[in-house]
Amino acid sequence: MAPSTPSSHRPRRKKLHTTTPTTAATTTTPRLNNNLILHVGAGKQVPAFPLVSFLWAARAGVSQWLILPLTLMVVGLFRWAVGLWGYSGFQVPPMHGDFEAQRHWMELTIHLPTFKWYLYDLQYWGLDYPPLTAYHSWLVGKIGSAVDPTWFALDASRGFEHPNLKIFMRATVMISEYLVYIPAVVNFLRRFTRMQGVHAWSASIALVAILLQPATILIDHGHFQYNTVMLGLMVASLDAILAGRMLWACIFFVGALGFKQMALYYAPVMFAYLLGVCVFPRIRVLRLIGIALITIAAFTLLFAPLLVGATSAEARKAFSVAQPPPLLQSLPIAVDKNSVVYAVLFQLTQTIHRVFPFARGLFEDKVANAWCAIHTFYKLNRFDTGLLQKASLGATVVSIFLPCVIIFRHPRASLLLPALACVSWGFFLFSFQVHEKSVLLPLLPMTLLLAGDGGLSKEIRAWVGWANVLGSWTMYPLLKREELRVPYIVMTLLWAYLIGLPIFSWETYRNRGTPELWTLTKLVHFSFFLAMIAWHVLEAWVPPPTRKPDLWVVLNALIGAAGFGIAYLWCLWKLICQSWPNSRSPAKEIGLKKRQ
Amino acid sequence: MTDLYPSLAQCALVAAAFKVLLFPAYKSTDFEVHRNWLALTYSLPVKEWYYERTSEWTLDYPPFFAAFEWLLAQAAAYADPAMLVVKNLDYDSWQTVYFQRATVILTELVLVYALSRFVKSTPLPNKQAAHVASLSILLSPGLFIIDHIHFQYNGFMYGVLILSIVLARKQSTLLYSGILFAVLLCMKHIYLYLSLAYFVYLLRAYCLDPRSILRPRFGNIFKLGVCVLGVFGIAFGPFAQWGQLLQLKDRLFPFSRGLCHAYWAPNMWAMYSFTDRALIPLAPRLGLPVNQEALTSVTRGLVGDTSFAILPEVTKEHTFLLTFVFQLIPLIKLWFRPDWDTFVGAITLCGYASFLFGWHVHEKAVLLIIIPFSLIALKDRRYFSAFRPLAVAGHVSLFPLLFTAAEFPLKIVYTVLWLVLFLFVFDRVAPVPERPRIFVFDRLALFYLVVSIPLMVYCSLLHQVIFGLERLQFLPLMFMSSYSAVGVVGSWMGFLVVYFTA
Repeated sequence: MAPSTPSSHRPRRKKLHTTTPTTAATTTTPRLNNNLILHVGAGKQVPAFPLVSFLWAARAGVSQWLILPLTLMVVGLFRWAVGLWGYSGFQVPPMHGDFEAQRHWMELTIHLPTFKWYLYDLQYWGLDYPPLTAYHSWLVGKIGSAVDPTWFALDASRGFEHPNLKIFMRATVMISEYLVYIPAVVNFLRRFTRMQGVHAWSASIALVAILLQPATILIDHGHFQYNTVMLGLMVASLDAILAGRMLWACIFFVGALGFKQMALYYAPVMFAYLLGVCVFPRIRVLRLIGIALITIAAFTLLFAPLLVGATSAEARKAFSVAQPPPLLQSLPIAVDKNSVVYAVLFQLTQTIHRVFPFARGLFEDKVANAWCAIHTFYKLNRFDTGLLQKASLGATVVSIFLPCVIIFRHPRASLLLPALACVSWGFFLFSFQVHEKSVLLPLLPMTLLLAGDGGLSKEIRAWVGWANVLGSWTMYPLLKREELRVPYIVMTLLWAYLIGLPIFSWETYRNRGTPELWTLTKLVHFSFFLAMIAWHVLEAWVPPPTRKPDLWVVLNALIGAAGFGIAYLWCLWKLICQSWPNSRSPAKEIGLKKRQ
Repeated sequence: MTDLYPSLAQCALVAAAFKVLLFPAYKSTDFEVHRNWLALTYSLPVKEWYYERTSEWTLDYPPFFAAFEWLLAQAAAYADPAMLVVKNLDYDSWQTVYFQRATVILTELVLVYALSRFVKSTPLPNKQAAHVASLSILLSPGLFIIDHIHFQYNGFMYGVLILSIVLARKQSTLLYSGILFAVLLCMKHIYLYLSLAYFVYLLRAYCLDPRSILRPRFGNIFKLGVCVLGVFGIAFGPFAQWGQLLQLKDRLFPFSRGLCHAYWAPNMWAMYSFTDRALIPLAPRLGLPVNQEALTSVTRGLVGDTSFAILPEVTKEHTFLLTFVFQLIPLIKLWFRPDWDTFVGAITLCGYASFLFGWHVHEKAVLLIIIPFSLIALKDRRYFSAFRPLAVAGHVSLFPLLFTAAEFPLKIVYTVLWLVLFLFVFDRVAPVPERPRIFVFDRLALFYLVVSIPLMVYCSLLHQVIFGLERLQFLPLMFMSSYSAVGVVGSWMGFLVVYFTA
């Protein structure tokens, strides 16, 4: 209770000073800095990009109670339609893919006692996600078994493929998303736009854009994963921060971490921010203690069912004969193998060992990050894994150092999004064991920028749109393997069309008086759009040279890495501009100078 | 003027994106029907088109549609020649699916064009309403379910119909309207149901002098006669030459089918059958004679010869007579007031009469009412209140067309989305009528709308929970079709009142 008192007045003060200058403008016309309406002479008004025209009738006087359900239905239809297509590992025995992995976890969690979850037949898709995923799998598996037990019969159901199972699994992704991600995003947007003084109409437009983000839909509803649960918990955590409920923010963030370890990309910023609010503008020890305690409590709660399960006699017997995980072996103290303490430690360390696969390589397949790019020209496998790990750690720390320091020194909620985007780009580019799917993590906070002050202005829309197109483009080799080409083309082009990007419209890049893009930005974006189109042409019609069958994929990763590097720099730049005292103005000044 | 956003083209583009995503969705036997027609028109000489019977889905559309399939087949040869082999029954390679689905999306551009002409032809004060109405047709859940999942080319053909209706708006293009309608008839003969309205309208507004019916305009009669006969000549002439007309007649009008389609379309006969079924348990008490044969009939009157246990039999002649009479009534008014709005109203009422009283009516035929009606539904609020129950009932009655689990959320969510969006927008756009509305009717319509929610929940979920998947399967279907029949009949009566008092 104690820490919530000081935290509750912060956003209110913030809200006051950000909204006051704009209230006059918001009453009649939407904020001009969003550039939603173009005035093309003779008092004629034209929507700036197609998404605006779809919500044109909602400019004024239409209830959110109508707009919101309609929006959710439309985005739901697109999600379900993508789900009609193929999924990861369909008809690819013996290991299949992510769909089978998720199904297998449901199978093993509902049939086995908790102590076997992280030990059972690790060669065949052993559970390697944190406990919340395991509980989620258990719940979904229980429901699925009630419908048809053969879907999740232990061992017998491996590689099971039936249209009904596919529908069930797709429905679980959908329902999980609509229970976690969507309410979180809707609430976050409502609070965030109000805080930033953004008109409700702009907020509705931003919501549609965010919910139609192509990469997320393609991975979750096409490829098959439950990323939106983790992303949703993260957004819920951000929402709690905006509301000034720091303790809830901790709980949601632990939930995100507990669902998918990938949420670690966000952890440094969350840590720096939460530490920052305890130190600046004055030191608040009680709040720090509160945050620490609640985080520990949340983690305990997260692991409790597993650890309690480990104390049973059966579990102790099983653990005492099992090969202890490396982390436990390296423990300096010796524990009696039959004791409860040993069992609990075993379970804990085994889980951590499974969740963080340090034994794997620097990167998998071809992924658009720095290591893969460097490897293309200078083979990295000549180095020892330990050295590479250190190098990767070092590079990551360097890349995230500045944003973390900024957010620590200026713990302002409005800076969170650029900081999160920047740090997760840093992780994506430089950290260890990165998947192409991890690009969803930096894309989320970056896309949420659309809802901010001026978020639908040319600059942010162009950058966010470009990064999203690039992000789903780097996943094309993956999606192509899974027969998701058509959904990829449709969803990515649809996004580009709705946001008003090339190849459908040059409007965003055209000069029409007021704020426009820098020439450098235009140059960068155009060259990337061109490169992407050219790459698709090459990939589709020109066979790669026989000596380098992966040439196109490597090229994709290289271009992607370069683009993501630029996206990282842009986010960092935005963060620095905004963290400047009396923000906004210096950014504009610098912009003016550059143009001169 | 500034409020015509989103534009038709924008909506068509986004809708097309969504429809492309539906390529792998469920497709009915109509997909194979059309593939077979592609194959037979491509590989056989025209003479044999109406005799070919390798597949059970023989060609039963008029010649222009066959020619349309032949045109498509020329392109299909580049996509996958194997789909054009008559013997490849049930062939559905991904190229075939992509190709056929893509042709549905592309030919729907005719509808987009027709709708844009419709908006353009509307005078300024009603432009916004016309724009909204065209969007509602373009995004209609009927076309969405029937064309893009179930598989047919209705979007294309209704496009032609709307174009023809729009051309009838100006005296100068009336002739083209007639020609286009003749072409449409030679593509799909279901539009014969609307032909009386065209006949009366063209006769009155084009062939006779608008001021006096006693002064025929011979020039116009000649032009129209030559053109329409010419169209029919091109379509049927060759077949007449080869002496195949009787064979065509047998193919196009297969009267061996029963009164009701396998699934009851929500019309008078559905209500009639329902009453008959409901009377069976009551018959002994009321002292009514029961036809034992009908009780033991396996098909229970669903397929083939319908037989009723208690109520009198219905013959083809009865249905024709009823259809004709109920078409005639609105035409009398059209004869005396041949303006465009009355014409569209008469088309709608002809659609109603044939749907409600026709022989072997298919539930898909409900579009025959909804689409012309949409063009005038926003004339004022009285029209709209007659349209509302039709919009609900007509679309809900299409649900049984799709019965697979994967498409279940699609059809429900899409239809609910459309109903919420357009009923709301229509409500805002429709102007206040000159005459007072009938309040009882409005209240009833609202009640009707509300009932649909528990009914949908019962039919799609509760029934399976209570009775399981196997038992009493017909019950939800019967409820749905009876409920929808009430809506369609209610909106018909409401519209009759509006039509005659306007």
